[in-house]
Amino acid sequence: MFNRRQLILASTASAGALGLGMPARAQTPPAGYPAGYKDIVEKARTEGAVAIYTSTDDVQGRPLVEAFQKAFPGIRVDYNDIGTNGAYNRVISEAAAKQVGSDVVWTSAMDLQMVLVQRGLAEAYKSPEASKLPDWANFNDTLYGTTAEPVGILYNKAQTASLKLPKTRAELLAFMKDNKDALKGKLATFDPEKSGTGFLFFNNDAKTRPETFDLVRAFGAADGKIYGSSGAMREKIVSGEHVFAFNIIASYAIEWAAKNPALGYILTSDYTAAFSRVANISKGAPHPNAARVFLDFLLSPAGQSALAANGAPSIRTDVTSGLNLAKLNEMANGNLKPIPITTALLEATEPKNRAEFFRRWKEALRG
Amino acid sequence: MSLAAQAPRYRSTVILALFAMVAAPAVLIIYQSFLNAPFFDETARPSLEAYEFILSDPEFYRALWTTTLYAFGMVVVAVPLGGVLAFLITRTDLRGRGWLEPLVLVPMFLSSIVLAFGYTVAIGPSGFVTIAFRNIFGAAPWSIYTLPGIILIGGLSHVPTVYLYVASAMRRLPSDLEEAARTAGASVWRVSLDVTLPMVLPALVFSAALNLLLGFETFGIPLVLGDPNGILVLTTYIYKVNTIFGAPTYQVMAAVTVFLILITLPLVFIQRRLLRHARRFAAVGGKGARTNLLKLGRAGQVIALSIIGIWLIVSVFLPVGGVILRAFVENWGEGIRITEQLTLDNFRRIFELPSLSRGIVNTILLAAVGGAVAVGFYLMVGLAGHRNHGKTGTLLDYSVLIPRALPGLIVGLAFFWLFLFVPFLVPLRTTLFSLLIAYIIVGLSYGLRIIQATLLQVAPELEESARTAGATTFRTWRDVVIPLVRPGLAGAWAMIMIVFLREYATGVYLMSAGTEVIGSLMVSLLTSGAMDQIAALSFISILLTAVGLTLALRLGAKIHD
Repeated sequence: MFNRRQLILASTASAGALGLGMPARAQTPPAGYPAGYKDIVEKARTEGAVAIYTSTDDVQGRPLVEAFQKAFPGIRVDYNDIGTNGAYNRVISEAAAKQVGSDVVWTSAMDLQMVLVQRGLAEAYKSPEASKLPDWANFNDTLYGTTAEPVGILYNKAQTASLKLPKTRAELLAFMKDNKDALKGKLATFDPEKSGTGFLFFNNDAKTRPETFDLVRAFGAADGKIYGSSGAMREKIVSGEHVFAFNIIASYAIEWAAKNPALGYILTSDYTAAFSRVANISKGAPHPNAARVFLDFLLSPAGQSALAANGAPSIRTDVTSGLNLAKLNEMANGNLKPIPITTALLEATEPKNRAEFFRRWKEALRG
Repeated sequence: MSLAAQAPRYRSTVILALFAMVAAPAVLIIYQSFLNAPFFDETARPSLEAYEFILSDPEFYRALWTTTLYAFGMVVVAVPLGGVLAFLITRTDLRGRGWLEPLVLVPMFLSSIVLAFGYTVAIGPSGFVTIAFRNIFGAAPWSIYTLPGIILIGGLSHVPTVYLYVASAMRRLPSDLEEAARTAGASVWRVSLDVTLPMVLPALVFSAALNLLLGFETFGIPLVLGDPNGILVLTTYIYKVNTIFGAPTYQVMAAVTVFLILITLPLVFIQRRLLRHARRFAAVGGKGARTNLLKLGRAGQVIALSIIGIWLIVSVFLPVGGVILRAFVENWGEGIRITEQLTLDNFRRIFELPSLSRGIVNTILLAAVGGAVAVGFYLMVGLAGHRNHGKTGTLLDYSVLIPRALPGLIVGLAFFWLFLFVPFLVPLRTTLFSLLIAYIIVGLSYGLRIIQATLLQVAPELEESARTAGATTFRTWRDVVIPLVRPGLAGAWAMIMIVFLREYATGVYLMSAGTEVIGSLMVSLLTSGAMDQIAALSFISILLTAVGLTLALRLGAKIHD
């Protein structure tokens, strides 16, 4: 136990460190950082703020923001949770009006952010942390993957107790077909027409897995319901309105199952896709140095740990608090298949390709 | 310049400024609908692409049809029920009329997102009531996610709108005709159908037209309840079009809005004509006639109170109860014992998150301070139009109609662009002023009507005598009109405060870090599915509305017109 005097001393000491403007660890840049990094941090502190446009809601983003502010007390974080479309809308509108307001854009819409890069609205910056990322998660030192979030199944244990739950995608198909009547109206999945994330999942599945539309057909035949978010599905599965949801964000499912014993999750062992929240610095960012410091922090062990502790597993295999890419791959029986950050993502933004996907989706959903 | 010459100039300046404010977003949207890309994009060219797209999209027709069904269905539910409630409360000796009236109006003051959310928790497939019902009777034979379910809920929540207009028409009716019919031996039922009904028919038709309009613009209820079954109306179609294209497709959103305007504008005009007609009609009754209440009798009381009781349970108790319960639990549904789940965590988390707690503060600020600013603004406009029979008076009438025809979501988007691209507005964009201006425009027709009604209560003789005594128009306003309407202004402030508290669609595109508001936060949380926070925010929203309503009643707001 500390006595009062020690406490006062300790708090004066830390206040002193903060008050001087630089916490001790920022004095010497971490290993691998260029020697001049100190200047970037200094300039970032002068800029005083960093504006984030994101689709990660506040509850989930909070630990990251708090960790950042602890590490860089002089830099205020203006955190704008405006959704994927909102972020895209604001970035292109503001660029056209020459009033760029964002420093870092960080959303789960991998395709939309690739469009921003393509349109020249992102600034290239080689993060000193870049070497710690898998190759597929760094696009031209401009667009970085920041998380590894598997796509999987959430279910209500009590309501599915009498059923044999699937372990693979093939079993999933059989599960929905065989239990068509028992599961009538009880299945849920993402609505790709309403949710960009849902579209990303199903479109990626459609490109890489032949059985995708068979799954959708079996789902439709069992009168499954479609939702715009994982949270909405969780609510309905907890309440028992639905009992089983597939292709939802499984890192959330893992967290929910840990907190609520009534819930269970599955990562299918033959194939588990994973997506990544991607981040880039905005061209013409109002706080360019703060943007760099934030992006670096986001990719650093400290930032990654803060994310992983709150349901967004780390994309780095050397970050061990919470889940990371390697652990997830293990859980998926070595068959974790992350969606790579490449220009192939742009295909999904072509109206022609989208129309074709939706035609097939709707046709399959009729069962 | 002589003071006397200032009034016409004042009138035209204010009215022209207002016209610019309401026309700008509408013009921008119409312009955008005829382009092939965002209007600010270099590649934007005039094009009919957007119209071609929606006219060839079966989803659009389906949404149009659903919207039409919804709007008419709402009228079918709300108008008879609202009429009956108004009759019972204003024309009969129903017990507990005094405290029933504010209660009947409650659904009108709640944001439809909160209501819809409350219904899912209360009577959704795994709602508290549904489960209890199923445990007792084996099955719960209703589904709120079907179109009939959504229509019924939409209709019930719009009963107060009908009630307001019909009740105020009924209050103006002299009771001698009804009494004569009663004396001649007609039953209460006969009297209401053959005597009262024909006399308030204009008010009923008017409220039907108003509900039709609200039905076409409805957003919150289909957004929440239409989601699981993919039921779309035009406003949620606008929302969804974004994802179908993979990126915000403004030209398509704008084209759908133009269709909405084409539907709603005629409705707005019909309404305007009806309103004029209704006023004339009601004036025939004359003032000061003492109303004698119809005696319901014992059986009548029981029946009437049961009707109101059932309606109150379904329209107020269920959704509000649902929200309150959900706000204090984390898990609910089949096989979950609610008493084991009680928690304050949802609220604790809200107060930990700067954006959400700021949203609460901003909402209160916008409603209380912004509401007062809005009253000032509406008063300025109201005075400019007060006894103004010139051309500017007509222009004012039409200006007020424009925002009525636009959904709040789109007004918000248009204002987002205006604040971005109109140089002198730029500094305001990231402040609460941008929201306030958009709110003032969205609330214009409602707010102005309250102020105009208050202004019209000042007898023209008073103003005329001031003028004859040599006072200028300004002086007359300052020394005669404004002091007389001051008590009315306080009530108007409270009412506008409630309207601003409830607003959710306008801020969706407009708010940014620092200018969050509760309603729009809920829409944005809905996309990420953070139900715990939505529940807690809904609860706080209900609480704030209750405070606002109490304040309104205290300040003597004329809830009934």
